[in-house]
Amino acid sequence: MSKLFPTQEIGSLKKPADMLKKVKDPNVSDEEKTKIRNDAAILNIKTLEDIGLDIVYDGEVRRVEMYEEPVRYVDGFEFAGRVRSWDNKYYNKARVVGPVAFKQNFHAEEFNFVKENSNRELKVPITGAYTLADWSYDEHYKSKDELVLALAKNVVRPLVKDLVDLGAKIIQIDEPAATTHPAEMDIFRESINESVKGIDAKFVVHACFSGNDYKALAPQMPEIKAQQYTLEFANRDTWNEGLDDDSRKGFQVLKLFKEHGFEGEIGIGVSDVHVNEIESPELIRDRILYAAKALGDPTKIYVNPDCGLRTRTREVSFDKIKSIVKGAELARKAAE
Amino acid sequence: MISSYTFGIYPRSEELIEATRKNTENLASLFQSETDGYISAQKNANLGFVSDPLLKWDDIYRPFSNLESVNLSSLNRIYEMNTFYRILSFDGPDFINGGNNVQSNLDSSLPKNKTVAIPEPFTFAERHTSKAFKTKEEFTINLAKMLRAEIDSLVESGFEIIQLLAPSIAYNKEVDFGVVSDALKVMTDGLKAKTILHTYFGDVSAKIESLLELPVSGLGFDITTTPASSIEKHNFSDKILTVGITNSFNTAIEKPQECINQVDEINAKTKPKESYVSNNFDLEYIPKEFAMDKISVLGEIARGAKDV
Repeated sequence: MSKLFPTQEIGSLKKPADMLKKVKDPNVSDEEKTKIRNDAAILNIKTLEDIGLDIVYDGEVRRVEMYEEPVRYVDGFEFAGRVRSWDNKYYNKARVVGPVAFKQNFHAEEFNFVKENSNRELKVPITGAYTLADWSYDEHYKSKDELVLALAKNVVRPLVKDLVDLGAKIIQIDEPAATTHPAEMDIFRESINESVKGIDAKFVVHACFSGNDYKALAPQMPEIKAQQYTLEFANRDTWNEGLDDDSRKGFQVLKLFKEHGFEGEIGIGVSDVHVNEIESPELIRDRILYAAKALGDPTKIYVNPDCGLRTRTREVSFDKIKSIVKGAELARKAAE
Repeated sequence: MISSYTFGIYPRSEELIEATRKNTENLASLFQSETDGYISAQKNANLGFVSDPLLKWDDIYRPFSNLESVNLSSLNRIYEMNTFYRILSFDGPDFINGGNNVQSNLDSSLPKNKTVAIPEPFTFAERHTSKAFKTKEEFTINLAKMLRAEIDSLVESGFEIIQLLAPSIAYNKEVDFGVVSDALKVMTDGLKAKTILHTYFGDVSAKIESLLELPVSGLGFDITTTPASSIEKHNFSDKILTVGITNSFNTAIEKPQECINQVDEINAKTKPKESYVSNNFDLEYIPKEFAMDKISVLGEIARGAKDV
């Protein structure tokens, strides 16, 4: 993108409460439910466009959540039941009971709809092979590596290829599990490379922060066939404005990426998705400017929240995105 | 035949999950009936010792949030699992007076042959924070004092085996076994019950010599992360050995005869003072129907294994 510091969303937004109520209502017809979902997607797309994001999608409004949605449409999986995330929060976890295989492009309808209803650049989020494997019970393959590669080659690659055939230009591969197992980064790298093999598109990898400050990821980044990483920085940064190292603690690791020879783009997380407080545009400006200097090339910096905003209210989420857009504008002016 | 037990938090049923989310009127009775069901399942499987399924516990540390000057803090990942616990912030020294936070959160209908699991102090200190102590060592020792009060209360009420859950000893590359030992001494000195230290979430092959020196009655191993071949290199004639044989991280149900052969082989080579089988870690990482099957299989393995 020719514009400096383009802004983008990571993927998920909280679903509108009235939409959830209606789509769960057995008295509402399937036709009406489709219309309700379409309306909710348009609401998200238009709101993100009106706020001023450069790259948009539909807030994953049609998806159950990032794991259960794809698993529903992949051969070889059976849901086992719910397992605790924390306290009274649970997620539905599946067993791999046979060879995994792609059945159909489960994001095709969603992508076609977004494409028809937006004239901005689109970034399609999909769940990566490593995370699908890590969050499942494997009763079929001999090893985790084997399952990860089978998912990459037989599920994610056909999905990506089909999305690109439909016109997708940017695909974000979501891999929240990747950094939780520092010893398994080799297979993570292979899974991404196998997922995108032979496909012409821009690939973005989104990985959450998990304790070791991306130190295990950094050496792999130049070897992974992704043009951009969208990563979390804000959740461990200070809320002080400023361009000094102490104020920008959360962004120190960018220097490590550079040391390891990574020359691609970074989508920097400038807004913490775990708190309701809204970062000021000035704070976001300083985070962007610091990151641009640390990475050594401002044209490689994209700006986004740390992660999906689905755990925040819609009001808080949109306020955070507004501040991101304003912060990026301030950073552009400062960089001129 | 050898003895057996399970440890840690059990999974809630789909019905109970829904009830906890909606806080339904029948929530309390559901908790009780499901607890009763799990206790019956352990008895029916002829497990040597029966444990409370801890269904009301949000994580293994949560009962300690009731202590003086202890506050709930942020969520943190349970090692490399996709499950999180709440960090406790020990903001003053008053918690040491502790007492019976574990005991008061256990079901009163447990049979006489009962066991319970509590965190081991090094792991506890490593996973939580304190503003009250200057060093991690000081924090660890004071947690041990608090946990000793809990153990005394548990032993007083008839618990014969106390499991000490020590995943950080397995997971962390660097472990100060001096601190671990000092803290365990505080907890076990003169205690009239057996203590078994369970390691999981990491390979302890290189730490077994140090583990054997610790002042506990026995050691428990997760053989999905610490290979049986590593355990078999050591002599357990002075220690109880618990083989964590059923895997709580996979829904595949173990084949009893294969497990019996494996346990017999480990015991033949290690010559333990006493032998037990257990799960490798909390059953809550698999849904209830699979956990029930694994309890049954665990009993079968214990019945089939040769006495030591």
